[in-house]
Amino acid sequence: MGTQRAPARRREAWLPYLLLAPGLLLLVGMLYPFFLGAYYSLTSYFLQYPHLFRFVWFDNYGKLLQDPLFGISLRFTIGYATVAVALQVILGLGVALLLNSRIAGRGVLRATMLMPLMMPPVITALMWKIMMAATGSGILNYLLSWIGVGPVNWLGSVDFAALSILIIDTWGNLPFVSLILLGGLQSLPYEPYEAALVDGASRWNVFRYITLPLLKPFIVLAATFRVMDALRIFDVIYATTVGGPADATMNLHMRAFWQAFQWYSMGMGMAYAMVLLLLVFIASYVLMGYWKRAAEHTTV
Amino acid sequence: MMTRSRLLLWVGVFGVAALACLAPMGEAVAGEAAGLAYFQQAKINWRQFEGQKLTIGLNKHPYTESLLPLIPEFEALTGIKVEYLILPENEYGAKLTADLSQQRGEFTVIMAGAMRNWGYVPPGWMVPLDDFLKNPKLTDPAWFKLEDFFPSLIAANKWNGKFAGGTGEGPLWSIPVMSESYILAYRKDLFEQHKIKVPRTYEEMAEAARQVKQKAGIDGLVARGTANFPTIATGYLSGVKSYTDGKWAELDGKMNAQFTDPRVIRFSQIWTDMLRESGPANWANMTWYDGMETFAAGQAGMYPDCDFFAATYEDPKKSKIAGKVGYALLPAGPAGTTYSGLFTWALGMSKATKNKEAAWYFIQWATSPRTLLNATVEYKNYNPSRLSVMNDPRTQKVMGGWGGGEYLKTVQENLKTARIAWVPNPERPRLGDTWARALHEMYFKRLTPEQALQRANDEVNKVFTEIGLRK
Repeated sequence: MGTQRAPARRREAWLPYLLLAPGLLLLVGMLYPFFLGAYYSLTSYFLQYPHLFRFVWFDNYGKLLQDPLFGISLRFTIGYATVAVALQVILGLGVALLLNSRIAGRGVLRATMLMPLMMPPVITALMWKIMMAATGSGILNYLLSWIGVGPVNWLGSVDFAALSILIIDTWGNLPFVSLILLGGLQSLPYEPYEAALVDGASRWNVFRYITLPLLKPFIVLAATFRVMDALRIFDVIYATTVGGPADATMNLHMRAFWQAFQWYSMGMGMAYAMVLLLLVFIASYVLMGYWKRAAEHTTV
Repeated sequence: MMTRSRLLLWVGVFGVAALACLAPMGEAVAGEAAGLAYFQQAKINWRQFEGQKLTIGLNKHPYTESLLPLIPEFEALTGIKVEYLILPENEYGAKLTADLSQQRGEFTVIMAGAMRNWGYVPPGWMVPLDDFLKNPKLTDPAWFKLEDFFPSLIAANKWNGKFAGGTGEGPLWSIPVMSESYILAYRKDLFEQHKIKVPRTYEEMAEAARQVKQKAGIDGLVARGTANFPTIATGYLSGVKSYTDGKWAELDGKMNAQFTDPRVIRFSQIWTDMLRESGPANWANMTWYDGMETFAAGQAGMYPDCDFFAATYEDPKKSKIAGKVGYALLPAGPAGTTYSGLFTWALGMSKATKNKEAAWYFIQWATSPRTLLNATVEYKNYNPSRLSVMNDPRTQKVMGGWGGGEYLKTVQENLKTARIAWVPNPERPRLGDTWARALHEMYFKRLTPEQALQRANDEVNKVFTEIGLRK
């Protein structure tokens, strides 16, 4: 018997590794590009000048700090993500509450709401670019003229370009936030609401002291996803303003792309990308910690 | 050009599959056989590389549209199989540079051209075409007729590999398939109706733009304006070169930036003031395509840009102003001459190509008189790079009607002094992007023209020092 079990045991010894293999492969697949990028950010690497390639430690980061556009793009990246996520979460919550209430045509509304999610961001952006035309055919300005406002120079002015990006981005991503929050609303327990009803709490108090705290993990979750995306926003900006006018919509992702794929300066491009990655990492780390605490508190 | 979606059109696979069905049929079709007979007049054996395979990288462009339907003819003629990959311009540049830099040879025949060659030749990524042209086994010069190309276009694709000069000297790196120069398209109807003078100087141009806006109530002009190098490349750069009588260059012989020249500052001021006062509200956001659309929709008085946009303006299906457009040289400088920029897409060869002879056959076929004639006459490839194509009655019939004959006259006049406007250097995109940002700073009055151009100057010098281009 013993001789028969030995190969079986050997097989068992391999089993965990075999089962882990896909996961490990995935991990390597994810980490390899990351480490390669991190390594390139420490090199002088220009596609067009292979002879300049060498390891330069943190030179690229030093240069980056001197680049006036770094400060501009860093500020825009953080500022934009903050405003965009705050706006989208508040609006998303409103939409979710609306779709959760018993209103006529709720089914149709829920289905329609998902449409922007199905559109590729570039198409969304180009569609809006046409609607936001400053002159003539721009439907947005036409509508505004009814209420005596405008015409607004949406994408072509320093003052409105960032707002325009925010509008386009919000249109495209609001459904995502609403969807998560709607799911959250529908999973909330009945008991607290019954208790509130018995106590005669006002609708505002029910929302403020029951719904909101219970929904918190979902809000933080939606915000986390959105923060990661908003920090990295690229498609919409690329298709509409390419970072302009006068750098008004220049963010870190745009800079990284410019360096790496317009100027073929891979080292600098990767340095920009690494800063962006760090930012995304910090933001999601903080938010995930917050989410964990919120989730523990509200587990019923 | 705009979409960033990774639109990897592996239509090539389909093309090859389709060819498998078409090739035997091809011989049977009389028209195609007659087409092949023309090529067989060349004293070379077209079938000596039969069975080999080529992958070509193409940029999304009207020229590409005119080439694709003709490719089956090449495959029928040579028995060489062609696969192709089409990418929008930005992705094309990035993917091609990546492929060339790693010498993978994924792309064999590439869409290059004067300015792209400045980046690809110095690292040794391209093959000079002279040896193929001279080899009697591979080329029949009497049939191919290299001398039939516009001399300025051939000169543009020759380069001795030295930065800050050397165009027109040294090897031929690529063969031109189309050309564009920059002219002034204007609304002839409105200019006549409101008695506005067609401008001959940039001061007059600003005045004309003002009058169009006042009297006709539309934008005085449109122009490219996004914060990257295409904004510099056409009307503006031609303007700078004309305004300085063709004597100023953005880099000196030692690759020092020259943006702070008083004439450049003055011109940039005229240009940005004109656009702020009489241009489109969204200038800073306008691509060549937006400009073309706006002008074709009848919403602007002038568009100083690519000559061949006329094909769109004069097409009643795409344009509201067909037959109402006048064409003129861009305004001249103090000495009275216009120096327009020039651009050409041209076919070249990657050094990592395994089947170099087959690749040359493709280039030779694609740039032969007949193929280029078909591309223009049948599939609207403008402007032709060969004199014989330009002079062909069928080409003349189409292009000759534009602007009541003004178009062709203007283009031919323009080509006498038009030249590649940029100084040979591999950092043209970065230099142009930096320059365009300076124009934005002036336009939005963030900085004075002096300050903005000084800053661009410093930035370019810094980068050029860093990569060792500045001597």
